[in-house]
Amino acid sequence: MRKYLRLHRIFVAQDLKKLMEYKVDFLMGAIGFVLVQAVKILTLGIIFSAIPALVYKVNGEVLDAWTFNEVLFIYGFSLIPKGVDHLLFDNLWGMGYWVVAKGDFDKYLTRPVNSWFYVLTEKFCVDAFGDLFVGIVLVAYSVFSMPAEIAADINWLRLIPVAFVLPFAIMIYTSIKTGTAAISFWTKRSGHITHMCYMTNEFASYPAKIYNNVVKTIITYILPFALTAYYPAIYILRGESPWSLAVTVGVSVALFLLSQLIWKLGIRAYESAGS
Amino acid sequence: MENSMIHVENLHKHFKKAIKEPGLKGSIKALFKPDYSVVKAVDGIDFDVQAGEMIGFIGPNGAGKSTVIKMLTGILTPSEGFCRINGHIPTQSRKEYVKEIGVVFGQRTQLWWDLALRETYMVLKEIYDIPQEDYEKRMAFLNEVLDLEDFISSPVRTLSLGQRMRADIAAALLHNPKVLFLDEPTVGLDVVVKDNIRKAIKRINEESGTTVILTTHDLEDIELLCNRIVMIDKGKKVFDGELSTLRERYGQMRELSFELNRAEDLEKLTYQEKFNFAEDDFSVKAEGTGVKVRFNTEIASVENMLSFTLSKVHVKDISVKDADIEEIIRRLYKGGGEAK
Repeated sequence: MRKYLRLHRIFVAQDLKKLMEYKVDFLMGAIGFVLVQAVKILTLGIIFSAIPALVYKVNGEVLDAWTFNEVLFIYGFSLIPKGVDHLLFDNLWGMGYWVVAKGDFDKYLTRPVNSWFYVLTEKFCVDAFGDLFVGIVLVAYSVFSMPAEIAADINWLRLIPVAFVLPFAIMIYTSIKTGTAAISFWTKRSGHITHMCYMTNEFASYPAKIYNNVVKTIITYILPFALTAYYPAIYILRGESPWSLAVTVGVSVALFLLSQLIWKLGIRAYESAGS
Repeated sequence: MENSMIHVENLHKHFKKAIKEPGLKGSIKALFKPDYSVVKAVDGIDFDVQAGEMIGFIGPNGAGKSTVIKMLTGILTPSEGFCRINGHIPTQSRKEYVKEIGVVFGQRTQLWWDLALRETYMVLKEIYDIPQEDYEKRMAFLNEVLDLEDFISSPVRTLSLGQRMRADIAAALLHNPKVLFLDEPTVGLDVVVKDNIRKAIKRINEESGTTVILTTHDLEDIELLCNRIVMIDKGKKVFDGELSTLRERYGQMRELSFELNRAEDLEKLTYQEKFNFAEDDFSVKAEGTGVKVRFNTEIASVENMLSFTLSKVHVKDISVKDADIEEIIRRLYKGGGEAK
């Protein structure tokens, strides 16, 4: 493990150096990201300027409601595990798009390190500081501008279990990327599958209750992004569904093992490319 | 053989390949009801390599050379049969195994595109857990053999092909591997660089006792570096032995070259009528008055050819040349499996 951390440090330093070299590229990426986030937040702002709160109704009966600040908090919180995964494990995207198809995976197999770790450590994606920055700002803003009666519900001690669960939430992202990227060992390319699965995280940035049962089941158990965002966030805000933290850990471990299995089997099926 | 460095037994690799009919209709059909055919890229290969040997692994394009190398290096899993290198089955103890080998793919660098070369070696030092002292010694040796000093501070993407190849070879040798796999190490290089790289490979083999498996299309590489060659074609082994054996067995071709007094005299040289050569055994090339005749000495001896030529025409200059390795290989490739 120490070896991987040392290796990682070298590549981090390298990517930071590259950042200095390709300034324009980074700047464009950062501006693009900020614009996308700004538009999303603006949309939320417009919706909430017309309505007092997001309401969950069944047969005309109001069962739950979320204020603008709460929705903003959930949204901001969702960017944190996503951002950490993006920062550290972004290299997995390349697998499904070109690494396997072009036979470039060869080089990961001829070194005496775990191929999965090797892929992970090789890149450090500074763009992700955008996600993390916006996430933290949104969380902070939503808390500070919160109406007193909602803020009164927050017990900051709940942050302790959430902090413990956070690595598992990150691992949900990483495992979904790993598992879908490994499909490319059989199909040569699977980048679009990864993309499709990854994009379901958009659903998870909002209260899970507002969706129908199919979507809710998918984002809680199958592509469990709700466990990385809505559930821990609402637990911090209201102490609701503490069981979800245990589910996050369990589902994350299960997904991790599954993705590793797919990866291992995939390597056996790997066909490289003609040279 | 139990104690050889590399032992390959009944090695197969089959690829399943989708058959697609042409056009959009074919694509749609392939999507719903794909047809597969099995391509036997490697179809039952056996050979052994002893420690310290340097063998040339040759064959025409698509013969399955790279597929064999990729199985030997643990990149591909064999469909059938196995290979064992220094006691390891590559795909079973991959992490342990690859510490003992170095791999260079001429067509594709294993270096990090944006890293300065020096840093690349630092990363490899970490990856292979090389102690500082060994690292310095090894670096000094490789620097001397491969002359890396001039470009060691440059990022890999700025290196010329020749520099990159030297850098790649050094990278594959940093951890002092027992076996070095070189897949077309001289492809696309100029004569001087080729020569330097060959010398370096030879020195490394001699001084470190590294076993070398070399695939190439450049037969000069083979002639200068390898005592033994293994040739495969269509996934099967067609020759395995010493280069000199190959030359003896298949080197019956000679080339007779001479200058005619008059270009029209060529018509008088009715070799075909006289000796009745098969198509492969004979060819004539004439440029003005200069003539080159390739022939098989099993059909017509050099003496017979000479006396027949001299009895028919007047010539200025005449010489007989041995078949070169290229000629032999070309005949073997054409002969395919039968050449065995």
